[in-house]
Amino acid sequence: MKFFKILWKVLLIGAAVYAALFAVFYFDLDGKLLFRKVEPWLVKHYDKMERRDPLSVGYNIEKK
Amino acid sequence: MKKIDLKKLKDLDVKKLARDFVYGKPHGERRLGELYEDKTGLYKHREWRGVKDTMYYFNNIWLYNYVMMVGDIMKFGGPVLFAKGLWRYRWLGQTYLPVLHWFDRGLEGLRGEALRASAWHYRAMVCVTINQFMNMFKADGNLRNGEHNDAWHHSIYHKETVWGGVFYPWADKYTHIPMEMIPYFVTCHVNNHTVLNYIDAVQSIGLPGDPCPMCQAEAGLFVLDDMPDCAPFMVTSNEACDGSVASTAVQDWFMDIPLFAMPQPMQFDDPLVQEHCANEIRELWRFIEEQTGAPFNWDLLKEYLEKQNELQRFEWEKWDVAANTDYYPINGVAQALYRIYQSQYGEHYIWHDTDKRVRKIMEKCVEQRINSFPLTRHRVIAWSCAPLYYSNWCTWAYNCWGLNTIINMDSLMFDMTIRTDDLDETVMDMARYHEWAPMRRMAVGGMHHIFELWENMEKFHCDMVMMYDQLQCKGMQGVVGLFEDEFRARNIHAIWMPHALPDKRTVSRAEIRRIINDYMTTVMQEEPLDPSLLDFDDSESW
Repeated sequence: MKFFKILWKVLLIGAAVYAALFAVFYFDLDGKLLFRKVEPWLVKHYDKMERRDPLSVGYNIEKK
Repeated sequence: MKKIDLKKLKDLDVKKLARDFVYGKPHGERRLGELYEDKTGLYKHREWRGVKDTMYYFNNIWLYNYVMMVGDIMKFGGPVLFAKGLWRYRWLGQTYLPVLHWFDRGLEGLRGEALRASAWHYRAMVCVTINQFMNMFKADGNLRNGEHNDAWHHSIYHKETVWGGVFYPWADKYTHIPMEMIPYFVTCHVNNHTVLNYIDAVQSIGLPGDPCPMCQAEAGLFVLDDMPDCAPFMVTSNEACDGSVASTAVQDWFMDIPLFAMPQPMQFDDPLVQEHCANEIRELWRFIEEQTGAPFNWDLLKEYLEKQNELQRFEWEKWDVAANTDYYPINGVAQALYRIYQSQYGEHYIWHDTDKRVRKIMEKCVEQRINSFPLTRHRVIAWSCAPLYYSNWCTWAYNCWGLNTIINMDSLMFDMTIRTDDLDETVMDMARYHEWAPMRRMAVGGMHHIFELWENMEKFHCDMVMMYDQLQCKGMQGVVGLFEDEFRARNIHAIWMPHALPDKRTVSRAEIRRIINDYMTTVMQEEPLDPSLLDFDDSESW
């Protein structure tokens, strides 16, 4: 009996997660999150990253 | 609160509503343009395709691909390595997270077998992309404070325009990494914002704005120090044209590692040139032996080429179905991107898995006479080089106008198998294959080849040409007038589609749509299948 109760709960939780995922899919919530939050945040990070300046390296065309 | 209009409620056709819910709306009633949010191209909600296809999209495309992407990351190097790469490289973080939106754009409006077959092509491209960037990170000195590990010593860097097949003899011990394929080429299709950083970067050090933007972006990756340091030497090429030679100079400067330049002849019909090109490949193999200390392995080369030949034979079967029946289940963008990716990158297990699945679907369509594009008004052949930021234009064109892109020039490039019975013959075939690269064979490879359009139009039973006009390709700009004369003389309906390859700022996607709309209304005098798609603003979209 206890087994069936646990199974029932697992099924209910599974169904709720599945329904939530469907809502994310259907209303394009993944796209909206990535477009409005994640991409701007990452772009800020990339914009302020310290980078090596490749122009400071001399170009030696004689090298082999 | 809004009052419920009882009269409207009474007028509702419940049967039709139920039918639309179960089967999805028929093509003419979908109004796909109303699904977009203004400017961003995000969906107010994703398309309802009927119960079966919506659930297929949700379970077997959206969920499945998210899960498989995580699986691929685990399989090819793990989440820590992925996170390090994500934090270090703009092209990864900015581009590849919204990859499911790339599926959405390419697969809009598809139903049934076409939805399934096209989505498998996308899945394969995602898998190879993840495999490639994880290979880069495994070997990357930038992620290890400049230290070079074993993977770095077992990697071969090469320009993306060097066909991966020339490295097959070392495939058991060395990983070949096309330098710009993932940081540049694939990014433009998935998220066209990223590449603009690289174009601007190279112009900021003095390059004028008019050279080929592909080469600009490839060089810009190095100017912004956004390239992994993942191999002890590199192989370059003049494919597709001298623009690549120029970007090689920048790469040579900034990478500062031993370099082998493998130029391919522009005019490749001359048999003497063929011999020369074969010798270039042999020279390359000697260079790799010198650099790695590992000997050339003929058996491995044969084995991999035979596997690649299998892929080519299936591609011919696909072309046969596309050309001679109405039952081809792959849409224009999936056909084009999968084919160019597979034939340029070379052998990978996922291509075979995908082809098996697609074969099943295609055979079902032929046996049961399933027409996946029933509202086709015109069979279109797309010629020359496509706009990377709007590779899914053909999905839009079918949904809006019934223009069904059957085949495109890039798909037809590597139209050959390679002999494996004798090394001399093999090298000659490999030379030919390499010469038939994208943007070379039928673009800057000579007049005879670019006019192969006419025979392919006939072969694929196409009645319309979508003629790409890459505004910054000097080679192709030189033949615009000749094409116009031929189109007139042959009485062919052709729409010129101007674009600047990866750079959406020169000709926007809205402008491309407007040009097609104008032609379809004024010259063809046709009505759109879905008027909501005629004009919408997706200027900020991925």
